[in-house]
Amino acid sequence: MVSDEVLRTHLQELRRGTVVVASLVALRLPDYGYALLQRLTGHGFPVDANTLYPLLRRLEEQGLLTSEWNTEESRPRKFYRTSEEGERVLQRLLGDLAAVQTSLTDLIEGAQR
Amino acid sequence: MSSLTDRYLAATLRSVPAGRRAEIETELRGSIEDMIDGRRADGRDTEAAEREVLNELGDPAQLAARYADRRLQLIGPAYYLAWERLMKLLLSFIPALVGVVVGLVEASDGNGGGAIGEGISAAIQTAVQIAFWVTLVFAVLERTNTALHLPAWTVDQLREDHVNRQITPVDTVAAIGFLVLVIAYLPIQQFRSFVPGDGHGNLPILDPALWSFWLPFLIAVLVATIGLEVAKFRAGRWTWPLVGVNAVLDLAFAVPVIWLISTDRLLNPDFVHRWEWLSQADNLHNVATFVAVGTALITAWDIIDSAIKAYRNRH
Repeated sequence: MVSDEVLRTHLQELRRGTVVVASLVALRLPDYGYALLQRLTGHGFPVDANTLYPLLRRLEEQGLLTSEWNTEESRPRKFYRTSEEGERVLQRLLGDLAAVQTSLTDLIEGAQR
Repeated sequence: MSSLTDRYLAATLRSVPAGRRAEIETELRGSIEDMIDGRRADGRDTEAAEREVLNELGDPAQLAARYADRRLQLIGPAYYLAWERLMKLLLSFIPALVGVVVGLVEASDGNGGGAIGEGISAAIQTAVQIAFWVTLVFAVLERTNTALHLPAWTVDQLREDHVNRQITPVDTVAAIGFLVLVIAYLPIQQFRSFVPGDGHGNLPILDPALWSFWLPFLIAVLVATIGLEVAKFRAGRWTWPLVGVNAVLDLAFAVPVIWLISTDRLLNPDFVHRWEWLSQADNLHNVATFVAVGTALITAWDIIDSAIKAYRNRH
């Protein structure tokens, strides 16, 4: 039986890249940091707050997200949304994720034969 | 606004680039308040909720590093191997070299007793300096993300004789270091033997008459032995030609030494007379016999040992 620590490390590795994909998908609908965190967690992508907030800024700097301040509510909030560039990158990432899934399925079936 | 969140924000923003500080502060403060509100909705009181949220966000320095996309390592995987190799290379010989040189300079200045301590201390200081500066340079490279442009690794870099190398670099460096010390000692003892003479400052240990031929000859043999050590290292193992040359050089050194000491011509007569015990004929004879037999045994052992090792290399 592997230790919880080992399992946790592998799961972390597996999840690391998918946070970017999930964020780009989710932000097709504009949203602010905390609400996005809740949505991702609700859909089975638990992300640490101290990972997500800096990540959003980095994706914005890379031009994959655009942002807009909303000052109508009780506190000012920065709403992010996936840019056109972000959408193009997302398509590539989703394609690659599907390819990984296909290859994995092939491998599993090949191994069972 | 409670002071805990304020302090957390201040600690985080301290190391975030100034130009983006205000915007990050507004956004992060909003996110923290959102998170606190979320927990209060679960029935937590404000103070406990704030503590939980800030604990969850973790070390401000780490959060700031993520905002600034800064690395939290002194030397990362891109530079580590280059750092390690350079460090090993420099530390393998420079401190020892500096130590020997400083020790020799100290000894030639007449401070025979302190020479070893000075040499060791200089070697340690050199090692610390090398380690510090090399690490500093690599840490700066890591921070500035400088490309090293090192040639990529290929199979050609595999050392053929790595596994069964008989002569290690350490052996060779130690042997050459010892030879250099002996060669340096021969002229030094002429002027600085640390044995005070009657009138003049210094009594050479070896007979100064030997400088006309034998001492230069012995020095030449020792220099040739350094060449042999280098050749041995490059071959990586004992070969029969090396065994032959080694035997010739060993005998070229040992035979004159044994012959000179047996005929009372090796030691300086003034030096011998300086010591009452040594100047008695029986004692001098015993010392001479001891030196002669010891030299013969060491020489014989060295020649036999090299021959055994060369023999083992025949598959």
